[in-house]
Amino acid sequence: MNQISRNSAGTDAAALCIFEAIELEKEFDDGQVQALRRVSFQIATGDFVAITGPSGCGKTTLLQMLGALDRPTSGVLRYQGGSIADSPDPAAYRAREIGFIFQAFHLLPTFSALENVQIPMFETTRTRRDRRDRALALLKAVGLEKRVNHLPSMLSGGERQRVAIARSLANDPSVLLADEPTGNLDSENAEIVLDLIVKIHKEHQMTVVLVTHDMDIARRASRVLRMKDGQIVSDISPAGT
Amino acid sequence: MTFFTVILRGLMRRPVRTGLTLVGISIGIAALVALVGVSRGFEKSWETGLTARGTDVVVSNMSTALTPKPFSDSIRDRITQLPNVSSTCALMVELMSIEDAQMMILSAREWGGFSWNNLRLLSGRMPLDADEPAVVLGQTAAEVLNKKVGDVIQIEATELSVVGIVSGGALVEDGSVILSLSLFQEITGNQGKINVIDIRVPPSTPEKDVKELCEQINRLAPEVRAVMIREHFSSSQGYRMVRAMSWGTSLLAVLVGVLGVMNTMLMTVFERTHEICILLAIGWKRGRIVRMVLYESALLGFLGGIVGVLMGAAAVKLLQNTPSIRGLLEPDLSVGLFAMSVAIAIFVGVLSGLYPAWRSSRLTPGLVLRG
Repeated sequence: MNQISRNSAGTDAAALCIFEAIELEKEFDDGQVQALRRVSFQIATGDFVAITGPSGCGKTTLLQMLGALDRPTSGVLRYQGGSIADSPDPAAYRAREIGFIFQAFHLLPTFSALENVQIPMFETTRTRRDRRDRALALLKAVGLEKRVNHLPSMLSGGERQRVAIARSLANDPSVLLADEPTGNLDSENAEIVLDLIVKIHKEHQMTVVLVTHDMDIARRASRVLRMKDGQIVSDISPAGT
Repeated sequence: MTFFTVILRGLMRRPVRTGLTLVGISIGIAALVALVGVSRGFEKSWETGLTARGTDVVVSNMSTALTPKPFSDSIRDRITQLPNVSSTCALMVELMSIEDAQMMILSAREWGGFSWNNLRLLSGRMPLDADEPAVVLGQTAAEVLNKKVGDVIQIEATELSVVGIVSGGALVEDGSVILSLSLFQEITGNQGKINVIDIRVPPSTPEKDVKELCEQINRLAPEVRAVMIREHFSSSQGYRMVRAMSWGTSLLAVLVGVLGVMNTMLMTVFERTHEICILLAIGWKRGRIVRMVLYESALLGFLGGIVGVLMGAAAVKLLQNTPSIRGLLEPDLSVGLFAMSVAIAIFVGVLSGLYPAWRSSRLTPGLVLRG
């Protein structure tokens, strides 16, 4: 269900283009810091886009805009044709359309893996049993069916990130936004997590936007946007698509 | 997992702090239960006592004291003439120290008056006449004073014989030392003075006629005030003061509880800023965050209320057995008082959670990604 009100002109384009940014700008500290400078792009539905660039180039800020965690200073950012900034209910947009994966996992420490996955589902009409069943299915899908009752502190980094991935899928979102999802993992676990994200993208035709500074990871995407000083400096398709 | 699990888990994050906050609010509620229970019980106890004596209207001058001020017994003669006065009984009621007991109710009653009729003899006999230097003791008073029939009791400088032990059908009656009015006036040098007139009206007199009688008495003798028994204490400035003090003290204690809960909830919100931002980032609405904080503080209030009620009831029971006031306390530890106390505790919880909840609702989910 789309929580962003679409304009009539954007309706047809929305079928192909899930995100559209036009002249997007974001300033901090009363304009002293310009995190985004006139950024424009489109992301097609079902695409796997990696955003790369050095630290401080604006990748995370852009991801925040896509996830309605922050508002642009100027410009327009549309989701399925409707302005995200003008959304009357950004929480509902985040709950139903977006799945977040964070570098630091951001699991709730006092809740088990099973409970962490159920947390986003409180904003849906699912029953208690439904929530539990879905969380179990998701944890099984990420290979953690034997770790459901473990607290995050009892899990390895890779396992924690897999719980976070299961949580991001709890409400069956249209888009997965991942901020350096392998940044805190060793290479073996990083590979497992990345494979999982690719698998989700392929099996569910889910749009994935992944922020990373690692070009090896970025090459797994179908499209790479490279940023520098708040601007997109290149837009390439590694697979030649 | 339910939303309640999330609430409970929030409180269990810091069990020691939650426990200490519970203790804080419990003490406030315990004070409320104890003080209000005792003051209400005092009122109820006297009303039961007056009812047991068969009194319909009480004439006294309660002013600001807990016992009424003395006035001339000639007022009784004037009242007797009024319509709807079936019978009267003049009394002198005092709270005084008798032997080792620091505070006893002394009830001197007009010899032959109806206020003697409800007394049921448990042992011994009643005084033979108004002038016999004797008293009867209510059964609780006998226990408190450790007296039995045949013993001697000293009132002021006079020694009187205990001739009987009686039951009066109410704690104030059972806790009283009862003697003839004229004897007490002589002992205390208060001839011609009384401080209470009990009045009976004919059976089935309509309430409006009883009220009219009270108004007539008040016009006839402005120095006293006639009220129906259920209004006896509510019209007393002294008792109103006691009631106000018990509520005031209780609310002060509850206020300390409010600050405790507010502090805990604020700390919780500060400590959980990151966690709240995660919840917002993964789609929780601000309203749910506010509800989470408010429910946590309400649950703290509820638990504090339950513990406080138990503590208050236990404290009153302990107080009842304190030698200096044993037999004088008949606290009103009713379900109504308990329910009201728990309701106040929950209200306090919610009130204390308002500011922390507002603070939590102001958090920005983007803080999560900024680290």
